[in-house]
Amino acid sequence: MAAIETKQLAREFEGGIKAVDGVDLDVAGGEIYGFLGPNGAGKTTTVRMLTTLLAPTGGSATVAGFDVAAEPGEVRRKIGVALQEAALDPLMTGRELIHLQATLHGLPRERGDELGDALLGRVGLTQAADRRVGTYSGGMRRRLDLAAALVHEPSVLFLDEPTTGLDPVSRQAIWEEVEKLNAEGTTVFLTTQYLEEADQLADRVGIISAGRIVAEGTPAALKSEVGKPHLELSLVDQHGREADCERVLARFGKPLPAKDGKLLVELEHGTSEVGPIVVALDEAGLAVESLDLVQPSLDDVFVAKTGEHLEGAEEAPADEAIAG
Amino acid sequence: MSARQSGGAIRVLMRRALNEITRVPGAAIPGVLAPSIFFLGLTSVFGSLTLLPGFDTQSYQSFLIPVSLMQGAAFTGAATGVNLARDIEQGWFDRLLASPAPRPVLLAGLVLSASFRALIPATFLLIVAFAIGAEWPGFGGLALALLIVMGMAIVAATWGTSLAMRFKSQSAAPLMQAGMFLAVLLTTAYAPLELLQGWLQEIARINPVTQVIEAARQGFIGEDVTWAGTWPGLLALAGLAVLFTWMALRAMRRMTA
Repeated sequence: MAAIETKQLAREFEGGIKAVDGVDLDVAGGEIYGFLGPNGAGKTTTVRMLTTLLAPTGGSATVAGFDVAAEPGEVRRKIGVALQEAALDPLMTGRELIHLQATLHGLPRERGDELGDALLGRVGLTQAADRRVGTYSGGMRRRLDLAAALVHEPSVLFLDEPTTGLDPVSRQAIWEEVEKLNAEGTTVFLTTQYLEEADQLADRVGIISAGRIVAEGTPAALKSEVGKPHLELSLVDQHGREADCERVLARFGKPLPAKDGKLLVELEHGTSEVGPIVVALDEAGLAVESLDLVQPSLDDVFVAKTGEHLEGAEEAPADEAIAG
Repeated sequence: MSARQSGGAIRVLMRRALNEITRVPGAAIPGVLAPSIFFLGLTSVFGSLTLLPGFDTQSYQSFLIPVSLMQGAAFTGAATGVNLARDIEQGWFDRLLASPAPRPVLLAGLVLSASFRALIPATFLLIVAFAIGAEWPGFGGLALALLIVMGMAIVAATWGTSLAMRFKSQSAAPLMQAGMFLAVLLTTAYAPLELLQGWLQEIARINPVTQVIEAARQGFIGEDVTWAGTWPGLLALAGLAVLFTWMALRAMRRMTA
């Protein structure tokens, strides 16, 4: 059974703004699905529909086998939700939040306390459990939010931009936890605007732009779709010798326009050609100063599919204001 | 969710709502002081109104205590709406909406906390009033007044939360406060019905909050507390609470629509 399945899922807001415009998803149980897109692309609106916080205006969606519109109560029992901008009350302690979450899910007090203690330990907050959330760092808040989402042992976990604004160390901690949870069988639906995050965590990635899915697949498949790896190199005493160099490089692949004074060549037959290229340049009396092997990134995929870069993309204010 | 599970959920939500006054030093002070300050000011300025022909009560303080009690309850209830609007803006309320707790349970947690919170300004006001010589209303009169304070806070809280969920913004706060202010003001708050002029008399006559204030007033103005003097007030509170609860639950459903 698919953990998440949508058919032509759509949400139109007042004024005819189509934040989500016919999205088909099929996320298998046990998968980590990365939903990638810039601000305003429809990520948050999609997550809000899948988590029953917003009703679809078109199409259908089931989560854990239940229809989000017809059986929202069943869906809520099955899902864990950690939304963007971790909504935590600074006046509560970490332990109180976990207790509140357990109670809202109808867990008996002892069971909630037991699970809560285990979860707080799991995310490394045992020491801070009785401190107010207002004193927590950004990373601690996200970890607490994650723990709160897990208190009822959900089968599908929704993480909306779980590491936005976090430092690299905190980000790594969240990633490790997500991977562990997934290894234990939890399906994870993750939205992100970080390529690295999707690349590292997701089994499959869906790229959303202007409310539609424009590409979907494993990160590796998507990247191989848009291009081959290329070499960027510069020579010792390069001036005046570019033509010689390009002649040598052309034997290995298509030369690309030079960038920042570096010479570029696409590797027709993959990375195995790096060695022979260096040897060939050496034989031609061209000494290599620096050499970088550049793999196509998810950003290249994004550019190829949408014509714009992902990180640093401009916000679309109309959509964002509504999707909030 | 069983009744026991619902009760547990309501309790944790109430406790969380009360953190606001127990954990933020000074946060409760304005809400506690305001009704007492109004009370002292008004009784000082208009204390001689009782000399008017047709004003049966001897002490204006006694006449005004229930009004200030209702004001305190109404402000406390409306503040619950403002707090909810903040929780909606900041995303906290999504946490509750994404949980399987029944929607009426979520509302009850908010609204019932207001009914207990409202006892704080009421207690302070009564202490001030008795200190400056207000008459003892009898245990029955006092108990009834406090019950009505709690009921009025529930009415104001359901009103405030329904607006919070409708507008999803703290900018709706003036509407929450002003609505309750007018509801209490346009009654027999400051003078008996017979002494009110024209339009105000007409509005006060049909305003259900008039019944609420008259019921709470019984013990304070030296009358016996009777069922005949009580039930119209309780009925008015129940009617308003049912109406605003319906509005609030409808607004909550629409939030996820």
